Amino acid sequence: MPHQLGVTIRATVAPGKAAELREWLVRTGRQGVAEIPFDFAHLRGVHFARLFLFEDTVDLDGRPIPASLVYMTEVDAPLRRHLAELVDVAGDGMDGAFGRCEGYPRPGARRRIRIRWLRQHLVSSSAVYVNTVGRGLEQIRQEAKLRAALQDYLDRPDHNWSADAPGAVRADIQAYVGGRPDLAWAMKPPARPGLLWRAGEAIHKVGVPLALLLLLPVLLVALPIWAVLLRLSERRDVPDTERPTPEHAHELASYEDFVVQNPFAAIGLLKPGLLRRITAGGVLFGINYAVRHWYNHANLAGVKTIHFARWVPLDRWRRVVFASNYDGSLESYMDDFIDRVGWGLNAIFSNGQGYPRTRWLLFGGARYEQDFKYYLRRHQVPVAAWYTAYPTLTAHNIENNAQIRAGLSGELSRAEVEQWLSLL
Amino acid sequence: MALPPVRQSVVMTLELDDIQGLLARGYGRLRAAHFSLFAAADAPAARALLTWLLPRLTTAGAAPENAAWNVAYTPAGLRRLGLPQSVVDTFSAEFTAGMADPNRSRILGDLDGSAPHHWTWGGPNSPPFDGMILLYAVDPATLARLRAELRRTLEDVGVRIVADLETLELGDTEPFGFRDGISQPLIDGLTKDIRGGRAVPAGEFVLGYRNAYGLLTDRPLLPPSRDPGRLLPSDPGGSGAADLGRNGSYLVVRQLAQDVDGFWRYAEGATRRPDGSADPQAKVALAAKMVGRWPSGAPLVKAPDRDDPLLATDNDFAYQDTDPLGHACPLGAHVRRVNPRDTLDPSPGTDASLEVNDRHRLLRRGRSYGPSAQGAAGDGPGPDTGLHFMCLAGNLSRQFEFVQHTWLNNPTFHGLYDDTDPLVGSRHCSGEEFTVPALPVRRRYRGLPQFVRTRGGAYFFLPGISALRYLEQLPASFVAGLGEPKRIQLVAPDTTERTAN
Repeated sequence: MPHQLGVTIRATVAPGKAAELREWLVRTGRQGVAEIPFDFAHLRGVHFARLFLFEDTVDLDGRPIPASLVYMTEVDAPLRRHLAELVDVAGDGMDGAFGRCEGYPRPGARRRIRIRWLRQHLVSSSAVYVNTVGRGLEQIRQEAKLRAALQDYLDRPDHNWSADAPGAVRADIQAYVGGRPDLAWAMKPPARPGLLWRAGEAIHKVGVPLALLLLLPVLLVALPIWAVLLRLSERRDVPDTERPTPEHAHELASYEDFVVQNPFAAIGLLKPGLLRRITAGGVLFGINYAVRHWYNHANLAGVKTIHFARWVPLDRWRRVVFASNYDGSLESYMDDFIDRVGWGLNAIFSNGQGYPRTRWLLFGGARYEQDFKYYLRRHQVPVAAWYTAYPTLTAHNIENNAQIRAGLSGELSRAEVEQWLSLL
Repeated sequence: MALPPVRQSVVMTLELDDIQGLLARGYGRLRAAHFSLFAAADAPAARALLTWLLPRLTTAGAAPENAAWNVAYTPAGLRRLGLPQSVVDTFSAEFTAGMADPNRSRILGDLDGSAPHHWTWGGPNSPPFDGMILLYAVDPATLARLRAELRRTLEDVGVRIVADLETLELGDTEPFGFRDGISQPLIDGLTKDIRGGRAVPAGEFVLGYRNAYGLLTDRPLLPPSRDPGRLLPSDPGGSGAADLGRNGSYLVVRQLAQDVDGFWRYAEGATRRPDGSADPQAKVALAAKMVGRWPSGAPLVKAPDRDDPLLATDNDFAYQDTDPLGHACPLGAHVRRVNPRDTLDPSPGTDASLEVNDRHRLLRRGRSYGPSAQGAAGDGPGPDTGLHFMCLAGNLSRQFEFVQHTWLNNPTFHGLYDDTDPLVGSRHCSGEEFTVPALPVRRRYRGLPQFVRTRGGAYFFLPGISALRYLEQLPASFVAGLGEPKRIQLVAPDTTERTAN
């Protein structure tokens, strides 16, 4: 199975084209982007995809930042294949959207030129969280089909299961799956991502702590100074407690809660100064390490409802974007943030201008419930065009399906068999 | 991690005489009730009604003897009294958007047959109203007398009744036939006898007091200059603002029609014996699985196999230790959804889980309605029966809407796939399954009809008495031309520093 990528493509909107592009995105998004002109349903390995606008704004020094269009997808590797399909399959959609951006290849430009343009406009993420690393779209779809088949099998009207011993039920199910050519793949565990990629991850896993060990003497001197400076900076912070305007809140809500997942995207200006720039960079470096090597299976520090998330610095670190695909409503998502990973959010978001007051980077912040919720809503960006490959499956469902498959093979104790049967 | 502190000056003793009585009690002794949706012709009419109501209003201070009056307003009602739009906008966004707003409908499951355009009141195709008068009386005769008095007054002052919500005389069971009202949150400072139970901070329901995060829930605050008569309490957060929200709460009202025949017909059809005959015991058992309690009220966690009237009002249980897989009480059963107790992530079975649960509690105040409310003949409730669902919440979004969306109407609640609440859930596009976990394998019921439909509804604000006095005198006390009120920092930064952790 392939590993998954968080791909970001961003381009500056051509002068005077923002309003037209916004309107086009809303119209196209309303029709749905699974079919033409984007046809995301036919792009291989696309879990989620979205297009949205960052409106023009000014930075803290009053310098203008022009409007830009962003394409984001969570897609199975390889990147090369996806970029080619964006041109070959989603070409009409990409032309419609990025055709209103600066420097986009002229109509009729060659395929190679168009792919190169997309590649040139890739933006790298500081960290990408993947709910379960290595679980590709094909596997998610197959395992959902497996579960559905087993549900129907259990509903067979000609059989009463209640008299059967758990072990016998499992054996019966195993025989059924093994006997169906279209399901027999489920008797084996899924393939893992490529060896080369795994080797790279292993080197990163070991290499980063080693490098930090080498830097330890420097860090020991620098960390206390950093902490004191940070605390002083926190005391000068001015939280922004404005409510989102009713119009903004209404627009955001109008794109939410149609299927089990929602997209989230928020952008904020980094607080001024080198200290916050270093802090944000360091924290994202840590998040990148944590999500690659610790939180890489169905659980992000206690939150199990996030399919994908990413942090992307923009405009030479003047701004940072956070984007995710999550289960449930924004209200439940924000409550999970506050109740479970408030410290983690504080660590990164508190470097953003106007975030609720933190203490020692990790404390306070998100615990100011209402201010935090207003802050998120105010920085949230409407996502008018969004695609999900599995609109009825939560991350929990997907993990459950994978466990159903896992329990089809191998030796299980009686208790384990009962536990496994409860997944069905 | 310790809760962020609120400054010391927040007085946590509830000002009971300034709080409308509905927050303190459901008026169980007052078995007759009636709710009037009203619309005033103009500001003087709205004011005159309020002037008449104020001395009659029941507060949380003492239990009423024979009758109780409460009043709640919609955003339109607040505007009618003269509150400027800029101030109305500082109330909760859900309240100002209104329950019939399309974005709220998706959250609430008010789709298809429950969609607001079908509603008999509160929807886009029914007349607007300013508020609701809640009238309770010890018996139907008293209620009738007070209603007549109210009607005369409304006529006199120029206020029209838009809709009358009748109720059935209060009993222990709701129209489906199950004992109701067993589980209510215990509230610090409001519930008299907490008896070692788990109490929720008053601020979860009464604005202006500490909530479950240890903070003051957002509410309308006015510059002191807008309250020259000093009618309003001062913001307990210490900002110096006049607190229009304090001692108030948001009131959710929904008319939920219950298809009682359909419910029992489904339960009977799904439990027929192989020979096609009905199995009355199995029918009740399936219905109990859907509810999570037996008709008597006995919880399935404690009485998994048969009803036990001795446990009728038992509310002392949790799920994680006794029934983690839902073999006694299904994971998707109604009672597990409205109050999941200790089953919530990240650490089910612990205090941390209960703490998460505490942030999503509702204070329910509903009353049933049905044909017999008007003394109609017939054996048992007919087709038009149900519940005037009411609940109070300090934060509509985190409490009522969250419960409705994330728990009741969520087809993937608790790891399920396509099950909404079997009893009250919406079946829009999905949610037509009901899974009964069992050994060796679950039993799945399919094609569940929708048994409950929304027929009307609105969000109201139930102001404190001082706030009502302020609203009554708005033209006199309101100083125009002061510009837009700013939202005021609730927790003074310096205080946070001093009392950190």
